[in-house]
Amino acid sequence: MIKQKIRDFIFRELVFVDNPAQFSDDDDLLEAGLDSMGIMRLIMFIEDQFGVTLPDNEIEPDNVKSFNALESWILRHKKP
Amino acid sequence: MSLLEAITQQCHKTPNKIALQDAKSQLSYAELEQHLRHLSTLFKPGQRIAVAMDRGVDAASAILAIVYAGACYLPLDLKNPATRLRYILEDAQPTAVIGFGDKPDWQPNSITWLPFQLPAQQHALYPADPESIAAILYTSGSTGHPKGVALSHRAMLNFADWAGDTFTLSSTDKVASLAPFHFDLSVFDLFSSLSRGATVSFVPQALTLSPSRLSQWLAKQAISTWYTVPSLLSFLVLKGDLANTPLPQLRQILFAGEVFPTATLKTLTDLLPQTAFYNLYGPTETNVCCYWPVDRTRLSDNRPIPIGIAAANADLKIAPDNSELWVKSANNFSGYWQQGKLNAPKLKAGHYPTGDKVSLNACGEYDYHGRLDRMLKCSGFRVEPAEIEAAILRHPHVAQCAVIGIADPTAGQRPAAALVLSQNTALTEIIQPLRKRLPAYMLPSQIKIVDRLPSLNSGKIDYSTLTELFK
Repeated sequence: MIKQKIRDFIFRELVFVDNPAQFSDDDDLLEAGLDSMGIMRLIMFIEDQFGVTLPDNEIEPDNVKSFNALESWILRHKKP
Repeated sequence: MSLLEAITQQCHKTPNKIALQDAKSQLSYAELEQHLRHLSTLFKPGQRIAVAMDRGVDAASAILAIVYAGACYLPLDLKNPATRLRYILEDAQPTAVIGFGDKPDWQPNSITWLPFQLPAQQHALYPADPESIAAILYTSGSTGHPKGVALSHRAMLNFADWAGDTFTLSSTDKVASLAPFHFDLSVFDLFSSLSRGATVSFVPQALTLSPSRLSQWLAKQAISTWYTVPSLLSFLVLKGDLANTPLPQLRQILFAGEVFPTATLKTLTDLLPQTAFYNLYGPTETNVCCYWPVDRTRLSDNRPIPIGIAAANADLKIAPDNSELWVKSANNFSGYWQQGKLNAPKLKAGHYPTGDKVSLNACGEYDYHGRLDRMLKCSGFRVEPAEIEAAILRHPHVAQCAVIGIADPTAGQRPAAALVLSQNTALTEIIQPLRKRLPAYMLPSQIKIVDRLPSLNSGKIDYSTLTELFK
């Protein structure tokens, strides 16, 4: 659910890939073209959509590099 | 005085001070001069040399050495797809491309590949003619292809001096440099800083993905001056942890390239109470022609900030018919470099017409009211919709295409495209080839297929109706 929403947003607004269905949850989003401005919009989207606050010091490549990384990052901050 | 004379003089004044530094290496002013003496033997006066190197100490010394030798540098954006790089090289017809390692695939065989190395021989500073071209900065072109803005020694020195004086740069300053060399902000970073004895510190690229680390880096490096784009500063406001990262050494931030939303700027000025802010304005053709020292008492959320007053003794005029800003300045470019030669710019009464709509406010400052033509500003990059349209229209199934800008809270604008197809085609088939022709910031963020493009009675495309389509 989280992953699908992020997927839709990223492929619609931030990153173009030839075939989104073939882009795996572990593929590198930064290599695919997710840049600093894209990360900023993504964070605004995530905080707004999932009601989480992502701490400033956790915004770094490791947490945004793939859909799996993004999902586990969000889940760590989502209240049960 | 030539552009490099001021820097060479500085090398003698403060030989032990650090001139350039990045994460891997650094050069003192004395070492920089030695590098320039050796590296410059790779080039000859009057040559054009393309620079295919990532930002950093080596790339900066290569650029300075090219100018030192009386040649002209043409910085390449290595993030550009190969097709666009090849186009730029074929258009600019440089003598050589300098870079690390082996010749890249995108480089035409007709152009010499120069591996970066320090030769044993030395040269003294070449006394360049002030009107000779020192740099060609390629930018998006309204004819559908990138075009080179050619800058003379005179223009760059005039700007470097004005900025050095206005922002009181000295050997006590440390300047953070993040702008790529094909961006005119880098003229400040390199030439204003080094002619005043400041240290240029290159921001590691990865930090732009991690704003709180960027703040920490600025603090640790004791950066005093930083010239950057509002979109990155907005990221810093949002997630840079500035509330917990005091930056007492940062005496000034200069920004340019796009409109800074006033509310975000206000938050930033509150977070950095000791820092002075300056809004710098001007297309690459004029470098900076207007500036506004940010007056904190005048920042109110719903009012855009002014672009301010004339910079560098520019003579500014407002065209009576359409309120276009016209600029005559010693900063101005010499012309567009196209198809291997310099083409004189089209001037109006000796002034460069910017294509920007402005007015004078009650304080005697200029206010900016957007473009008169279709040019977009995407994350600080200048984007001509015609260049995107030309790339899309290469697809045989696209009959018609119109690109517009949609407002984006973080990037300023993003391109969006409406297409009329002559034959049913999957969008990915149209998008895929674009990635080979256009840099990422030029790729349409939205694409819509329409039966026909909305038109005005005159037959011209109705862009305002088109904009509604994307809301």
